[in-house]
Amino acid sequence: MIVAERKSIPDLVEILQDHKKILVLGCGTCVTVCLAGGEREVSIISSALRIASNIHGLDFEIEELTIERQCDNVFIEEATDAINRNDAVLSLGCGAGVQALAERYAKKPIYAGLDTAFIGILEDRGIWAEKCAACGACVLHQYGGICPITRCAKQMLNGPCGGSREDRCEVRPDRPCAWQLIYHRLKGIGQLERLTEIAPPKNWEPGHGGGCRVIVREDHRI
Amino acid sequence: MPQISKLETMITAGNFIITAEFLPLPGADSKAAETASGFLKDRPAAVNVADNPHGPILSSLAGSVILEKSGIEPVYQIVTRDRNRIALQSDLLGAAALGIKNVLCLSGHHQTLTGSRQSASVYDIDSIQLLAAVKQMNDDGVLLDGTKIAGDFKVLAGAVATPDMKPLELNMIRLTKKVAAGARFIQTQAVFDLDAFAGWIKKANQLGITSKTAILAGVMPLESAAEAESLREKYTDLVIPDSVIDRLKAAGDAAAQAKEGMAICIETIKKIQSLDGVRGIHILSGGKEHRVPEIVKAAGL
Ligand code: SF4
Ligand code: SF4
Repeated sequence: MIVAERKSIPDLVEILQDHKKILVLGCGTCVTVCLAGGEREVSIISSALRIASNIHGLDFEIEELTIERQCDNVFIEEATDAINRNDAVLSLGCGAGVQALAERYAKKPIYAGLDTAFIGILEDRGIWAEKCAACGACVLHQYGGICPITRCAKQMLNGPCGGSREDRCEVRPDRPCAWQLIYHRLKGIGQLERLTEIAPPKNWEPGHGGGCRVIVREDHRI
Repeated sequence: MPQISKLETMITAGNFIITAEFLPLPGADSKAAETASGFLKDRPAAVNVADNPHGPILSSLAGSVILEKSGIEPVYQIVTRDRNRIALQSDLLGAAALGIKNVLCLSGHHQTLTGSRQSASVYDIDSIQLLAAVKQMNDDGVLLDGTKIAGDFKVLAGAVATPDMKPLELNMIRLTKKVAAGARFIQTQAVFDLDAFAGWIKKANQLGITSKTAILAGVMPLESAAEAESLREKYTDLVIPDSVIDRLKAAGDAAAQAKEGMAICIETIKKIQSLDGVRGIHILSGGKEHRVPEIVKAAGL
């Protein structure tokens, strides 16, 4: 899923201060699951904004709504009336959701209420971790299903850096070294020989290196 | 044809090799490099020029050229952290054109460990892929995208190793790949745990690695217990055992600790020299180039 985190209330107040009628719009998909922008968070953030509005004399009028998916035009439709009757929208969708709204409502200011962080999973209660950098040419099969591009801070493809420790990455004491995980995993599934070959430089063009990406499926265009 | 480096000649001849490290300053003045070169002249066969280990400083290419001009053979360090394959290959061509004959390919400490932690992450290719690129440039005269190199290109490529990195099997996989990718010499991270280093070099001997590449063991003179503690706290590739720190503390005041740090360094060199498979010593001066002559003399190198 896409994992995001809420911006701070002072930051949101600064972003919204010139508007009066504001729609706080949640999204029922990824950001609901990662507890950043679902119905519950819409309610919490709206309350916090109302309090901030009282303190700073801002006259905010906050309306709350959550739709199933902000990155999908079919669901965005459901929010049209609410968007039209407000001056601005604070979207609690991911970066894609915010932009999908902005593309559809050309005259309405749409603001991001979240910092979209990564594609990841819930690793443990309250801990979300990044697992995929969407490089566009997946190499997981070569690394025992552990992504060196995403989970190694230096995206090394041929083994660990010198700073690798059995219990941590050079960069963060609270994260494992991806290469220790890859080594143990490949050993465990009897594929350690995969590490002895030199992996050539990666083609980053299918990733963000090739510019903003688009997938065209001719079979779905007819 | 480009000339063969002194370092390469010594590797081929089987001489015991001393290399040292020069850390340029964050300045545009060539004086610092010239001053450092005064300390580094004569004994070391070649001197590494660090590539922005703690954030931006005078470029390692410029530092290498200044050393070369002062009569010192440089080892041009090049990290994959800051430059993509276009810039790396371009810099390698430029270095060779300016007379640089040795390069050390490494990934470099992550940018978040430098003073420029907000910097974007590059890591387009890794250190082994950089070694392989240099090998291809040397052997086939071709760049990664297939472009033919105009004229001659020849540099001696080396790499780094961290003897303390565990497990040993993974450590050896990485070392074997570096050698296969063209590393003719290996400079190790500073050795403080001699037992761990002995186990590492023994394994490298068993795997036949030491007969394919020249391993130069890294040593570093510690200034004080406080410096040692902060270094090992910050850099996970620098393993300094408690026993070393206790010895420094027990030495007493600052001057006594610095003296003890030097004594530890000399002892380490002497013990390393007796190990099979070690082809030389790399003095990681970390900006304290003035200590190099003292180390070389005291260790009887
Ligand atoms: S290899 Fe690419 S697509 Fe596959 S998990 Fe890693 S970043 Fe994602
Ligand atoms: S410690 Fe491991 S995960 Fe971290 S940068 Fe080095 S190889 Fe990558």
